[in-house]
Order: sequence, then C-alpha cells, then structure tokens
Amino acid sequence: MKIQIRILFVVISVALVSYSCIEELPNELQFTGYEFASLDENAGNWNLILFASKEELLVSAPDPIGSPSLIQELNEVKSKIALASSAQKEAVSYWTNNPLLRWNEIALELATKYNLIPAPNADGTYPSPDPSKPDQYPLFPYSHPPYTSRMLAYLSVAQYDGLIIAWHYKTKFGRKAPYELDPQIKSAYDENGLSSFPSDGAVVAVSSRDILIAMFPLEKKFLEEKANEHLESLILAGINVKSDVEAGKFIGSQVAKKALARASIDGMKNAQTNKAKSDSISNAAIKRFGWSWENQETPKRSVGLTPLFGRVKMWNVPTVEEVRPESPPTPGSIEFNKDADELKRFANNLTVEQRKIANFWNDGLNSYTPPGHWNRYAKETVVKYKLSPVRTARVFAYMNMAIVDAGISCWDTKYYYHYPRPIQTISGFKTILGTPNFPAYTSGHSTFSSAAAEVLSYFFPSEATQFRKWAEEAAMSRVYGGIHYRFDAITGLSQGKKVGTYSVNRAILDRAETF
Amino acid sequence: MNLKHIFISIFWLFLFNSIFTNAQTPLDGLMMPKGEICVALVYEHSTWERYWEGTYLRTNQNIGTFKREMAMPMIVGGITDKINIMISLPFLKTSATGGQMAGAEGLQDIGLSLKAQFLDYNLGKGKLKAFSNLSFSTPASNYLADYLPFSLGFGSNELGVRAIGLYEMNKGSYFRISGAYLHRGRAEAERNFYYQDRAFYTSTMDIPDALHAQVSLGSWFFQKKLRVEASITSLRCFSGDDIRAYNTPQPTNKVDFDKIEGFAQYYFKDLKGLGVLAYYNQMFSGRNMGQFSGFGLGLTYQFKAL
Repeated sequence: MKIQIRILFVVISVALVSYSCIEELPNELQFTGYEFASLDENAGNWNLILFASKEELLVSAPDPIGSPSLIQELNEVKSKIALASSAQKEAVSYWTNNPLLRWNEIALELATKYNLIPAPNADGTYPSPDPSKPDQYPLFPYSHPPYTSRMLAYLSVAQYDGLIIAWHYKTKFGRKAPYELDPQIKSAYDENGLSSFPSDGAVVAVSSRDILIAMFPLEKKFLEEKANEHLESLILAGINVKSDVEAGKFIGSQVAKKALARASIDGMKNAQTNKAKSDSISNAAIKRFGWSWENQETPKRSVGLTPLFGRVKMWNVPTVEEVRPESPPTPGSIEFNKDADELKRFANNLTVEQRKIANFWNDGLNSYTPPGHWNRYAKETVVKYKLSPVRTARVFAYMNMAIVDAGISCWDTKYYYHYPRPIQTISGFKTILGTPNFPAYTSGHSTFSSAAAEVLSYFFPSEATQFRKWAEEAAMSRVYGGIHYRFDAITGLSQGKKVGTYSVNRAILDRAETF
Repeated sequence: MNLKHIFISIFWLFLFNSIFTNAQTPLDGLMMPKGEICVALVYEHSTWERYWEGTYLRTNQNIGTFKREMAMPMIVGGITDKINIMISLPFLKTSATGGQMAGAEGLQDIGLSLKAQFLDYNLGKGKLKAFSNLSFSTPASNYLADYLPFSLGFGSNELGVRAIGLYEMNKGSYFRISGAYLHRGRAEAERNFYYQDRAFYTSTMDIPDALHAQVSLGSWFFQKKLRVEASITSLRCFSGDDIRAYNTPQPTNKVDFDKIEGFAQYYFKDLKGLGVLAYYNQMFSGRNMGQFSGFGLGLTYQFKAL
C-alpha cells in the first residue's frame, strides 16, 4: 500500500507542476505592427479640432539628404540598433507602428486604477480628492465615468490634431525614412514609405504623455518612462532619425498645451459642488417636478457625483438644452409602475444570460468605465481594418468627443430631473449591481454607448449592426442589474444617438473622405 | 456603486475544518474501518461585521452584518482500514443586513477526498500516527465567483495535498498537527476586463494557491463517547492582490486568516451509530476577508455497509 501511495504522490506532484505552467493572462490588446490599409497621404488637409491651421505650429525644414547632420543621425540609428538589448527590442514590438493604441490602453489602465470612490470619514462625512494635494487620500483623480470620458476626449483630440499637423509636414517636406535612406537599416515594421519627418510616433508619445500627466499627476514618473521607452523605440525600429523625433516631440508638446488650455477653462473644476449647491439643485427639482433623488448609502453621501458636469463645455453640441430629453414619468404613475414592476420581475427571475449581460457591462468602480469599454472596441476595430495612425486618431477623436458630449448631456439631464433610483422608489428592493451615486434618469451607460456606437457606425458601416446591438445591450444591462428603469435606458439610447450625430456631422465635413 | 463588500470564501477549508466523526475529515487523525460508512449533515451559521481590506479591518454599514449559512451533507466510507473516501456537497446562502445588494444561494463545490494512514506506531504511553490526504473540489453549480462578498465560492477547481501527524495518549488526550498545499485553478468572471495591480483583458482569473495548517489539542472521554478539541487554523495564500480602498473584493485577492475553534462530538450509547457534533470558531486575524465567527451543528450516523 505504501508503494501505491508513493506512486500516487509522484503523479499528483507532476500534475501540480505542469498545471501551474498554464499560459499567461493578457494584460493588453494582442496585436503587432501591421501594414496600413492606406497611408492617408492627404491627411494634412483634414480639418483640425483645436487649431485654426496646420502652420499655426511652425516646423522648419529638415536638413536635406546627404547633409552631414543627417548622415550622422543615420549612423546613430545603425549603432543603436546594433547595440539594442532584448528589452529594447521587445519595446519596439510592443509599441508597434500604431502606438496611439498603446497610449489609449495606458489611459484606460490609469482610469481603472484611479476609479475608486472615497470611503467615509469616521464622523460619517466623505472626503473629496483635492487636485492640489493629489497624493492625499482620496487620491486625485477619482476617475469616474465623467472624468474618464473627458480625459479620453482631450487625449484623442490632441493626438488627432498633432497627427494631422505631422501629416501636413510629412507631405510638405517628403523626407524619406531611414530604411529608405540607408540600405543597412531595416524597419521593424512594414516598410510603407511614409515620410518620416516629423515623427508621428513622437507626436503621439509626447502629446499622450503630457495630457495624461495633467489628468493623472501622480503617474508623472510612470508616464515619462513610458514615453522615453516609446521615443527610443522609434529610432530602434529604423523608422525615424533623431531630427524626425525632435520635430514630432515639438508638435506633441504644443498640441497637448493647446488641449490642456481648453481643459483648464471647460468648467470641470466646478463640476463637483459643495452641499449647499447640491441641495439647491435638488430643491429645484422638487419645486419643478415634486420628486428628488437621494443617495441611499450609509452614511449618506450628501452630494452626488459631479452635479455640474452638465455645464462642462461641449465639443460638438452648441447647447446642452437642445439634447435634453422630455421629462420621465412621475413616480407612482401607471407608466412608472409598469417599468418598476418589470424591475421586480427581473430581480426575482433573472436568467443566467441576463445576469451575464448585467455583469459584462457593469464597468463600475475599479474599471475603465463605459467610455473605456467603447475605446476598447474602437481599438479592436481599428486593428481589424488596419487603419493608419492618423485615421485611427480620427476615429478616437470623434468618438471620444461624442462620448464626453453624451456624458455632459446625460449629467445635465440627471441633475435637471433629479430622478430617484429604483432602490429609493421600490421599498426593500435588492440589486445585483451597486447603485451609483447620482440620479437615475437618463442612464449614463445608455447615453455613452449609443453616442459611441453612432460614431463608430459612421466610420465602420459594415460593423454598425454590431455596435448598435452592443449599445442596446449596455443599456438593458442596467435594467437587468436593477439600477435603472427601462425608460432611463430607452431615453438614454436616443439621447446618445442624437449627441453622437453632432459628432458624425462634423466628421462628414472634415475632408477625410474626399480624395 | 457603493456597497457590495467583503470577505472571501474559503469554504473548502470550512467544510472540512474539524467537522466529523468517528468517521473523520481530511484534517483529523481518525480512520473508518473497511466497509463502514458514515453519513453526516452539518448546519453552519457564520457572520461578520467587519472585514479586512488588505490588513485594515473595516466596518461597512452598507453591508451591516454579513451572514453565511451552510447545509452540508457528507459521506465517508472505509475502502480499507487504511484508506477512506469522503464526498461532500454544501448548499450555501449569503446575505447582508445593510445596503441593497442581493445575496446569493445555491450549491457550492462538490468535494472528493481520499485519506490514507501511513504510520501506526507505539511510542511511550501512546501511539504515533501519520496520515496523508488528497482532496479535489469543483463547482457544483454555475454560481458566480466574481460576486464578492456574496459569491458562494471561488469558482475554481482545487487540488489539495495534506499531511497529518497525531500523537494520542492511551488515556485519551491527543495532539495533532496538519499542513496542506492547496492548488487552485482559474475562475471565470462575467466581465472580460479587471484590475489586479494592472489591467487584465480576459474574463479568466487566477485563484492564488494557499497553505493551510492546523494545530489541535483534544481528548476523549467516557470510553470514547465524547471527544473535545481546541484548534488553531491558519490559511496563507502565496500570491494575490489586496482589496483596493473601499472597493469590492475579487477572487484574485490574497486571502489569509487565523482562527480558533472549539469542537465537541458525542456518540450515543443507546442509539447505535448515531452521533452529534457542535463547534464554534472565531477569526482573530486575517487579510482580504470578513472576520467570521460562527457555529456548526451536525448529526452523524455510522453503519456497517459490507
């Protein structure tokens, strides 16, 4: 018997060891550098978002082919490639020839990391993050959906303007890439013949770094390291020389500065109000409608999340009032009871499929939020369609402008109507998702998702059915989860679609579709 | 957005933790003779009012008092005098008195365990015994692991290898020590993105492996009709992340705890084969789980099947 058991133990030990060698779980989108469907050589003519003209940023001509400085730079490229460590080579393959996707991923990771709601103090009050003391608990920022949506818009718009300007100068100067100038240099990516001056990679690295440092000040060191690694990889990949990179860095830092100047006066500073202001907003709703939302946590949060986010400056919608939906049904009305009864039915008989949808789209605390979820879909689709960096930036810029505009419109609606959540109106109601700290009507998930789907459907018409289906699923997920009435979701969907259309209408006129 | 909070379910450990009978558990120093079967039913009731977020003990009024109830049928059989097999299938129900999060209920994990005795050696005024035990458990329903603190279990397979040493005086008192390596597999969440010190683009979560150890002092009384025991039990995960500030736990967390327990079991003289058991336990330190205290009550019936 002893021998049998010993054999059994050997078997088990082997099983344990081999079991632990299973594959690593992915920390990023799995893709490599790819051949662009088009180089979009006329992108220098596309409409800018922040800048009035391409030459508002003056970039002087690079030194010509054959000049000693360029020969020197090419030699540097060769010696750096020859001496590259394996970590540096890995960095080249990580960043790819469409590094905007990696920076978007970094942005989502930071959004997730900082998406934690403040815990109560011992006396039952709640602290707020203080931008002037970001490292004091609760850390700044609290990267909730409005914050993340706005952050992504600034990131994407800065990247987009920067790349249009880079494309303008690429066309203007037509400098050949190092792998074309020197036969000893090979590109780590597809050798597509794109002009290398200014470096589009450097534009993306520096604009992204600077926007994200402003949005996540505690991550300055991390972001600088990422940017340095990225900038170095441009040389090591054989696609840029130093002067390409320097010109790209200049454009990147200037577009970030311009974007952040807008951010500093867009009204976000006032979005989180004090209790007095919050009470006056709530009282206005009671006076107007006879109802008011109240936080149901213990201890109660006396101020909802960003009551004045609805006043933040929009990108493509002239006034927030023009996209504000009609009033929701009065609590207790027949129309209200119909949707409230539906919530009780779901709570008692939720199918596994419905539960999965609720959890899949939850995107709550400690997540990249619904705006992040849609940025992920955008990335996957961009890779599928092999878009060039500048066309990629276009997708993200218009989508993220639409998403933040949707958020602003939704928040305006939320605090205008100040509509109570199901856990407030239905006594004893229990949910499988946590109820957020802001009013119900309209659903943020629905509005964000519908706006994103609208823009993505314009850019990728053959995927439109899928995008709209996802938006509807995201909307219904909140109903299955017990935290929104169906009318919050349905109205949110049409609101988001309306907001998204403003962004699409601007994209239609931006000269990217004319050849 | 608020609520849902803490504790993580190391039920597997609870299940077999000191419960049972003349039949025995993966942890104890008892064996059933060949051909005998013991069936048992145990009810356990445990609660916590505070939980460890990392190592910080937090109170959360949006949970209030967390309650977990378990009903567990179990069968133990003697394949030979030296090899026993155990099967268990607990039903669990979780709920909270505070907040608005729905609890959960259902079958948890089916557990299968083999115990073998290696050593039976007369030493001084007593006997030295050694055992080993292999255990395996797997979810018995589609419960969602990623619904903490309410989820019924951690949603993955678990393979355990345990060694047990026992010294029992002829007069009835005994000292027992055991240690186990618990290898856990992966759980599937219903979201395909999560954060564990960094972003993860998958619905698959790695459940940390753990070390489980127990030290017990006990004694038999009344011609082996009554057994009384006190024990300290510890669990240490080898990896995993901490619950983030005021955030929900997740199955990837590093869960540790230490607890003390008192246990008693009585076999009736007149009702042959029938026994009762009771225990009470209390956690005194931990990490990333609720500070449970609870009691269990059980009925056991042992009979000769072959």
